[in-house]
Amino acid sequence: MELRFSIEDERFREEIADWLADNLTGEFAAIRFRGGPGDEHMFPEERKAWERRLAEGGWTCIGWPEAYGGRGASIEQQVIFHEEYARAGGPGRMGHIGETLTGPTLIAFGSDEQRERFLPGIRAGEELWCQGYSEPSAGSDLANVKTRAEFDETSQQWRITGQKVWTSLAHESDYCFVIARTEPDSAGHRGLGFFLLAMDQPGITVRPIEQMTGTSEFNEVFFDEAVCGAGDIVGAPGDGWKVAMGLLGFERGVSTLGQQMLFQNELDEIVREAKRNGAARDPMIRQRIADAHIGLKIMRYNSMRTLSGNADDGSLQPEAMIYKLYWSTWHRNLGKLAMDVLGPEAEICAGAPYELNRLQSLFLFSRADTIYGGTNQVQRNIIAERALNMPREPRG
Amino acid sequence: MHFDFTEDQRLFRDSVRNFLRSEITSERVRGLWESGPDTALWSQLVELGLTGVTVPEEHGGLGMDELDFVLLAEQCGYVALPEPLVHTALVAVPTLKEIGGGLAATWLPRVAAGDALVLVGLAGWVEDGDRAQLLLLERGGELHAVDPDAAELRANASVDPSRRLFTVRFNSAAEAIAGTAVVGAARDRGALGAAAQSLGLAQRMVDMAVAYTGERKQFGKPVGSFQAVKHHMANVAVRLEYARAPVYRAAWSLANGHPRAALHVSQAKLAACEAAALAAKNCIQAHGAMGYTWEVDLHIYMKKAWALAGAWGDTGFHKQRVSDALFEDKLPIGAGATF
Repeated sequence: MELRFSIEDERFREEIADWLADNLTGEFAAIRFRGGPGDEHMFPEERKAWERRLAEGGWTCIGWPEAYGGRGASIEQQVIFHEEYARAGGPGRMGHIGETLTGPTLIAFGSDEQRERFLPGIRAGEELWCQGYSEPSAGSDLANVKTRAEFDETSQQWRITGQKVWTSLAHESDYCFVIARTEPDSAGHRGLGFFLLAMDQPGITVRPIEQMTGTSEFNEVFFDEAVCGAGDIVGAPGDGWKVAMGLLGFERGVSTLGQQMLFQNELDEIVREAKRNGAARDPMIRQRIADAHIGLKIMRYNSMRTLSGNADDGSLQPEAMIYKLYWSTWHRNLGKLAMDVLGPEAEICAGAPYELNRLQSLFLFSRADTIYGGTNQVQRNIIAERALNMPREPRG
Repeated sequence: MHFDFTEDQRLFRDSVRNFLRSEITSERVRGLWESGPDTALWSQLVELGLTGVTVPEEHGGLGMDELDFVLLAEQCGYVALPEPLVHTALVAVPTLKEIGGGLAATWLPRVAAGDALVLVGLAGWVEDGDRAQLLLLERGGELHAVDPDAAELRANASVDPSRRLFTVRFNSAAEAIAGTAVVGAARDRGALGAAAQSLGLAQRMVDMAVAYTGERKQFGKPVGSFQAVKHHMANVAVRLEYARAPVYRAAWSLANGHPRAALHVSQAKLAACEAAALAAKNCIQAHGAMGYTWEVDLHIYMKKAWALAGAWGDTGFHKQRVSDALFEDKLPIGAGATF
């Protein structure tokens, strides 16, 4: 066990820190610390420009293999990148779905042609992606997808019809990956396909969902004979579930590190506020802040342990099953803590009609955390049945 | 950066685990409650070299550190080992090493060889105090070397019958041999040992409750198939699994003299003891009324977990240490300071 970074890694830290200090200035100064969870709707144009700036510096997709335009950065270097990015106040990444989900999926499961066509745009920070998984009747029961895909022999195109929902940043995206049913009479995990669709076409309508924050980063996306080419399916028709689940594995890997650094910034802000307004003298508040600190360290240590390839027997092969439940509960509690640190002031909006300050939007937005991407209740079922091997409940 | 144990560390853990699980059954623990300490059991631990794991090689030990022992302490917890092994390896031996000089040279070889038991008392009592040949007792922030024959020991029955607690009165003329730094380090190592044992105890309780709820039927089905029961167990599993990394992190920090080791110990103690407390609470509920009986073994492990939560600095002590560190400006809390 070695819990220190090497000299080479520390040199890498200086390199990225210097680059960020030189570049997060001028037109980009205004978006420092902006665009994170709950704030993703803000400054889209500036943040798109920032994606391109990052790409010019070679700081997008650093974990990808060099053959695909990445740096082949080690886990340690990726950790350091995320630490320094958050420390410098790097804005919420608009390109993160493409970088952390689409890219690794195409590298693992895609064709050469798909990689050549889609990876460069992601790497250059020019093409943004969104994720078409959930549907009105496919939430916790994700395999209950109803969206249909039919192959039209005449035009040699797939035609997609149906509806997706809770699609983050669909209104800003150039492409969407979609799971849809390729076999009309199939059910559950079987008979699905994984498609790559351009968003800018007549068959796709995006309708924002207004959240209780008063803002909209989620959308409904309607597909009415939307089209993609014969080569725009990843894997074979019927293999969509395998690809979709492989992708969720990437979602819970290195991308957790960036998320934790955003959490660290939020916790730091709460600590600063508590010192400023005197809440830091309240023993109850101090205890809860200590708890929040420990919870974040626990996530951090566990991510590092998982990324070190820990293969200890007797443990739960934890990350995939446990992490979502842990962080979502922690973050929801952090939102409540933020309000309690603010005290009665917490009720005063930053402006009319409904402009929230950062901590208020943290509080409201974190109410979604324990629901999206697998509710806490579904996660607990999975942990009990797959990790603890408790008896399965009969399913209808 | 590599957050994992070596193959050797795992193999050592496995061999100790196999020994403990075959020898320290719940029947054996109950037997020891009745009979008192069993010298044959302590001899077996000595023969395996376990009393000398952290003793330097020049004094007849294996020369290993806190990180090597933490996995073993976890296994001691799993069986609720009612012997002062974790105390010896993680508290007494490192404390003797820090004191150094003639005291260390005299006692370390004897501890490694199993000829003597040295115990540290910081809380007004000492576990197994009547079995020690040397007591290192805290008073007024300083540590005193006390000959047990020259001290007055009084036995106290403990709520956890596996713990044999002795209050000690000793001559106020006994000379102080170490100051607050050594006392603090002893407390931190004791807290690490309590945290590691709590992981093992929590795992044992989870294993028992999962087995029980898989067998016990109501409404024609195993009660473990009901979501209300599953969710209780899943909550424990998450808390337990995630408490391991901070415990290993604290062990590494102590072994490597990290300047923030004390903070890491407090994180570990709180995480592991909270996991064990939740395990006790949810696993007795999963056992239903049977979990409340003396006959079912669950209470052996629950009582140990509850006792360890208050040992070597209770929740209030460790939480205060964490919050003080967070609110003093010297602690960098920002993004670059995560490890």
